[in-house]
Amino acid sequence: MFYAGLDIGSTITKVVIKNERKICTTVIKPTGAEHRRLANEIMEEALSKLNLSTANISYIVATGYGRINVPFADKQVTEITCHMRGINWLFPNVKTIIDIGGQDSKGIKVDNGKLVNFVMNDKCAAGTGRFLEVISDVLGVKLEDIGEISLQSTQPTNISSICTVFAEQETLLQLSKGTSVEDILAGIHKANASRIYSMVKKIKVEKDVAITGGGAKNIGLCRALEERIGFPVIVPPEPLITGALGAALIASEETKKIGEKELTEKQLNRRWEAVTFFDEKPTK
Amino acid sequence: MSFIVGLDIGSALSKAVIMQDGTLLSSGISPSEGNFLSAINSVLQEALGKTKLAMSDIDLIGACGLGASFIPHSFHKISEILCQSRGTSYLLPTVRTLIEIGNQSSRIIKITRQGKVADSLVSDKCAAGSGRILQIVAKVLKVDLKDMGQLSLKSTQPVKFTTGCAVFLETEAISRVAEGASKENIIAGLHQALTARIAAMAHRMGLEEDCVITGGGAENSGLVKIMEEKLGKTLLVPDNPLITGAIGAALIVTEKKVNLKKEENHAIETGCHC
Repeated sequence: MFYAGLDIGSTITKVVIKNERKICTTVIKPTGAEHRRLANEIMEEALSKLNLSTANISYIVATGYGRINVPFADKQVTEITCHMRGINWLFPNVKTIIDIGGQDSKGIKVDNGKLVNFVMNDKCAAGTGRFLEVISDVLGVKLEDIGEISLQSTQPTNISSICTVFAEQETLLQLSKGTSVEDILAGIHKANASRIYSMVKKIKVEKDVAITGGGAKNIGLCRALEERIGFPVIVPPEPLITGALGAALIASEETKKIGEKELTEKQLNRRWEAVTFFDEKPTK
Repeated sequence: MSFIVGLDIGSALSKAVIMQDGTLLSSGISPSEGNFLSAINSVLQEALGKTKLAMSDIDLIGACGLGASFIPHSFHKISEILCQSRGTSYLLPTVRTLIEIGNQSSRIIKITRQGKVADSLVSDKCAAGSGRILQIVAKVLKVDLKDMGQLSLKSTQPVKFTTGCAVFLETEAISRVAEGASKENIIAGLHQALTARIAAMAHRMGLEEDCVITGGGAENSGLVKIMEEKLGKTLLVPDNPLITGAIGAALIVTEKKVNLKKEENHAIETGCHC
């Protein structure tokens, strides 16, 4: 049996298809402006990688910001629940999850697979991936490279601003003074880590700590967070898929709860056409 | 017969005034544009040029602002809050509450009858609570900052922004443009968002009349109008709301010099150097 989990984030959309034992395939794509139709496309891509059709998928769970816009999902589950399940499957000893997304960041406290506490910032860009995007733009460096570059710094610049806009200004000022890009980036990662940490410590950071989301792919940010936290953190090999993975795991659990007849009915009644579901012309 | 220079070197604009015996002789304003030294020299030249004085005629310099350390002459550094209060008092002596909307900060200052600071509240950590957010949206809409006020007054339905962060607001503004919202409505919505922030600060301080608004924000007629409506108070705008800090710097440094002189004379007369 195959199970699918979709995580429609504000910046990136992820799909995981797994069977009873392992993850079979993953697809990761930028969400862009039209996420309703992307869900179909990305699902089809994942299926074609495995030479499967939609009929082969027993159960589909959707999560993330855009989860209500997945007409073919059998169930919608919150991001926190999915992240928790995904991390728990990968690293059962994790007690604190720090999820760093493009437009928000979250702190999730778990105990024995149950949610204990939760904190989120989606109000201030400085504690999110957006902060790093803005600065990498200004420096003319690719976002995927800034982490590595920052590790080459020998003397991190002190970035005093708490605000993304003012930090951008400070960056320009430092550049005009001749400060190296590595040093500036090191300082910027420290500032970002600082904002994220001051949010997460409200739920008390306890071992083991895992970092997920796009921010986890940035080695400079992970190191900066480790410094603030005071002990090493766990970074999943593919940090973006923990939500979709959790969704797929929940999909597998759901099939055990319902009978075969109901399962078959669900599969037959799945609505694959995003456009007809909304009964309107596509927006793009 | 001393000629005093007052400087206010801000992140967006550098301002200079020349005063003599408590009278304003001239002023100069220039964009700082990341090069403070150049802006300082420019405004000094402008102010001096209007009075036919030279730098050598200047007895004292008082200065405030982010870029003050770049001043290439000896000067006395004074806090911005003190300068703004004194300067505004000079132009509008009835001021009791000053709302200053600068490029990187917003301040609400309570001022006594003597022009001294009774209390103050400053927001300088977040771009969305200052003039900076106006600049950001002006860039998105491709309008001149100085036209924002007039444009907003033509708004029929101000856009409601859902975020309090300048970075996310910029994204929202771009989305609204893509959806076809008019510039006028977007700017009006922005003014409302900024006003709500200031109003929250004002609520904590309490507004005592006369209320005066200064800084770059005061030149934005649309912003001032929305603020008056939201705060329920008339907001007086000085003739030149940008130079209040520089005026205050000049006045305060003059007083300092007078006090220093008094101490000197006292020491000479009594032979006491305490």
